[in-house]
Amino acid sequence: MTLPATPDRPRIDAREKVLGRALYAADIALDRLLHAMTVPATIAKGRVTAIDTALALAEPGVVRIFTHEDFADIAVTPATLGGNQPGLQPMTDTVIHFRGQPVALVVAETLEAAYEAARLVRVSYRAEPFTTAMDEQGADAEPYEITAEAGDAHAALQAAEVTIDGVYTQAQNHHNPIELISTTAYWRAGRLTILEGTQNTSAIKFGTAGALGFDPAIVDAISPYVGGAFGQKNVLQLQSVLVSRAASLLGRPVKLVMPRAQLFHTASHRPRSNHRLQLGASRDGRLAAAIYESDQENARYDHFFGTEHSAMVSRLYGITNWLGRERLIRVDTSPPGHMRAPHEHPASFAFESAIDELAYSLDMDPVALRLINDTDRDPITGKPFSSRTLARCLERGAELFGWDRRHPVPRTMTAEDGTLIGWGVAAGAYKGSMCPAIARLRIQANGVTRLFITGHEMGQGMRSAIAAELMEVLPVNLDKLDIQMGDTTAAAQHLTAGSWGTGSAVPATRAVAEKMKAALTELVGELRAGDDVHRKLMSTKRPMLEVEIEQLGLDQTQAALDRMRQGAPATAGPIYDELVAFSWIAHFVEVRVDPTTMRVRVPRVVSVADCGRVMNRRTATSQVQGGVVWGIGAALLEAAEIDPRYGFIQNNDLADYVVPVNADIGDISVELLDIPDEQLNASGVKGVGEVAMVGAAAAVANAVFHATGKRIRHLPIRIEDLLQET
Amino acid sequence: MQSITYTRADTPEAAFVAFSNAGEGARYIAGGTTLYDLMKLNIETPLHLIDVSDLNGLDAIETEGDTLRIGAMARMSDVAAHPLIQNDYPVLAESLWKAASQQLRNMATVGGNLLQRTRCIYFRNGAGGISPCNKREPGSGCAATGGLDRGQAVLGASSACTAVFPGDWPVALHALDASVEVEGRDGPRTIPVAELYRLPGETPHIEFSLSPGEIVTAITVPKRPARRSTYHKIRDRESYAFALASAAVVLEMQGDTVLHARVALGGVASIPWRATETEAALVGQPLNRTRALAAGKAAFANARPGRHNAFKLTLGPEVIADALMIAAQRNT
Repeated sequence: MTLPATPDRPRIDAREKVLGRALYAADIALDRLLHAMTVPATIAKGRVTAIDTALALAEPGVVRIFTHEDFADIAVTPATLGGNQPGLQPMTDTVIHFRGQPVALVVAETLEAAYEAARLVRVSYRAEPFTTAMDEQGADAEPYEITAEAGDAHAALQAAEVTIDGVYTQAQNHHNPIELISTTAYWRAGRLTILEGTQNTSAIKFGTAGALGFDPAIVDAISPYVGGAFGQKNVLQLQSVLVSRAASLLGRPVKLVMPRAQLFHTASHRPRSNHRLQLGASRDGRLAAAIYESDQENARYDHFFGTEHSAMVSRLYGITNWLGRERLIRVDTSPPGHMRAPHEHPASFAFESAIDELAYSLDMDPVALRLINDTDRDPITGKPFSSRTLARCLERGAELFGWDRRHPVPRTMTAEDGTLIGWGVAAGAYKGSMCPAIARLRIQANGVTRLFITGHEMGQGMRSAIAAELMEVLPVNLDKLDIQMGDTTAAAQHLTAGSWGTGSAVPATRAVAEKMKAALTELVGELRAGDDVHRKLMSTKRPMLEVEIEQLGLDQTQAALDRMRQGAPATAGPIYDELVAFSWIAHFVEVRVDPTTMRVRVPRVVSVADCGRVMNRRTATSQVQGGVVWGIGAALLEAAEIDPRYGFIQNNDLADYVVPVNADIGDISVELLDIPDEQLNASGVKGVGEVAMVGAAAAVANAVFHATGKRIRHLPIRIEDLLQET
Repeated sequence: MQSITYTRADTPEAAFVAFSNAGEGARYIAGGTTLYDLMKLNIETPLHLIDVSDLNGLDAIETEGDTLRIGAMARMSDVAAHPLIQNDYPVLAESLWKAASQQLRNMATVGGNLLQRTRCIYFRNGAGGISPCNKREPGSGCAATGGLDRGQAVLGASSACTAVFPGDWPVALHALDASVEVEGRDGPRTIPVAELYRLPGETPHIEFSLSPGEIVTAITVPKRPARRSTYHKIRDRESYAFALASAAVVLEMQGDTVLHARVALGGVASIPWRATETEAALVGQPLNRTRALAAGKAAFANARPGRHNAFKLTLGPEVIADALMIAAQRNT
């Protein structure tokens, strides 16, 4: 079967969003709503010794102030604390693990009263010494774990003609979604409903039920839209259960929207990490060995945020001798967690910088070096890739960018006014995972179509991708198509993350559409092109027809679906029985650097990506552009400023935590190869949201080296790193 | 909840009377872009707000004889877009365009902008017992000293305070030898911009040489040739960011020779900083980049860096030199 290219269509919810009609969780109006506000701890470690609420309770409009004494019975369950969860439920005891940890929850009739009362809660502490950075005394290193091993890396490195050895550092980065973290909870007719912008309504449903001792069958979680997820909204938030508990005790709806300054301390972030890379190659550029050791900061109280730094980069080239060793370093911090390409971004910065350094050591073009080390088999497992297009991404990107006009010697390409020009390249990949999905399709004679499906719309355009696949198999009235997702009452939900959302929902859509087509055919005979399925249905005097399917990921069994229905992780891949699956990308970046002030600008980027079949060219292109913008921010701007004496993130707002603004971004040209990967799933779809960012920061750093001759091995690269002392 | 009284005044006299009658905790408010921000951070906790944004006729931009006069309540965006400012005072227009964001410039007044408070991350994010600050709580200490001081001042700082003055517009005004007209208890008076700001010394919480209730009504700029001018600002990102180092430069030249040079610096000092050493090194000399850089370095001869801001000693002179070369190439 040859899958056709999808037609160009606007984002299915574009009009709704532009008109401001798309309601996010915290926008939904509820009668008798109460407003909550958290009180953050002002010490970094220790215990709460007393909480004086008298002044706060005297505030007009305050309904109740909850403390650990009210919430001590919140259960610690595998669903709240295990697996892919934040690892800490605050306010269940007096222990303070990090500065900013919520210690009290104020509930009031108005938001203003809640804010003011939260300010008036007096908390006494017994402070303890703390350590908030992994390079300081008091940080506890765990033993190294071997995470990737193939061949004999030590021997191959020893024998190599040319070697590279460098340490690369990633700063602590913070998500700053426009939709702030929020939870709203209410009871109605014996059911608890939780409204929360999340990519994991399943975790909200099962986690809350487990924590509060409810039957999950009476708990519903709904995430209508998400305004920026990227891994920060992939688990129960620290306040989620507290808000549900408050609503339960008060018998009224309760809403909490966490202020941005608090998010820097409570919602997850990308932790600091250090990466030592040793590469060995022959003089003609054949990569022979890599030893990759990484340290990653983590909190002391949980184990969830492990490292996977070798997992992706070990697949970029045919390096048959690989040793990956990774360890966690524990400090007194808030929960680190997933942030777009969580391990792949820092790993690709380190590894693709090292590859660039090797290219210079070998006096080889960095694109050519990558191309001669291409491989069609995964060097770690020996299995074939489902599709391997990295070379095509590199070749096509080089062509679009005009790479052949590059002069390789640093600091030799300049503009007429003396501006230094640098061209850099880097490659990336991201695992091709899949997850089960359930889809129920209802076609109505009145023109309405309803699809209830597993998955969350987080702005990435999943509804548009689903609609494209539905329209291809069974054209329905698109104006009256209602896709209900991110809702545990619509279908069992999975964690929509790791770029498996679209690759799971689109094949499920294909399957349910084909089942519907067969059911219709049985009723009305063979459907012809141009048939109006709603009229056909009307002709049978039926108001509606409904079918449902369950879809498994490649090689998955029913057990995976059962796990998903219970709110447990249920993904497969990227290593399958017969193959290994990845999305691929190549970034080409031009920087321009003022030779006097060393200010860096990024006027031009070309990115060529393979995400399998493209379901919607506009949303996929937008994803890649967004990933590149994020890569530029990580490369040149973003870092949390944490004073080790206070353990507080000092730049906790959008003015001082510097992310790119429009003026920082030039042209980002994106080409998508659009090659269906039919070995992975029936729709030929792979992910694009994460791979988009992988390698982008390295390409910027490599371009900065080419422009200036300065190899900066830490992010962000700032003006002071490039200024020459005079 | 702490209640706040709110009064609208339509003349400076009425505003001053309202301020004086309000007693403790009175604050003027115009665009509110600094005050509301600091109220949310619990740094400002006013009890009485006297709204001066509609003072009659105080938003005019006009020339009177030898003086350019800008009403204190004119919006930053309006002044930046004014043809007279754009044509004759590029340094002023650029200092406004390169400040804040369009939304903030639409709200903020050029009078209020003079009194903008520092962006020191310890001043802003330490209230409630997290970290000390001599500006917030006099005598409590300075967390920036020995801390994260990348953004702090290398000129004019004291052991009590290293906070940078964050503004752009006052730096440009300083280079133009501008003054502010104020009204208060003793009637109207005029203060040179150079004297409006106080070095931190041992009293960093006293930032301005205004007496209680004194209100800025206008900014006056003596008319001298200023077309050969620029405001050059280097920052971490291209917009909506405070300066790492900036220079306001106004040149008067004859051929290649500098007749007069007026240079003020932002992003590097505790107050808008006049680079008199730079000016002296340029006057009567032909201008080229080598000389411009040497002159820029002269301004930093007595600079005192901390742990993470020594780069400003390299960056600052380069910014001055670039600004001088940009200004010199402008036609008069």
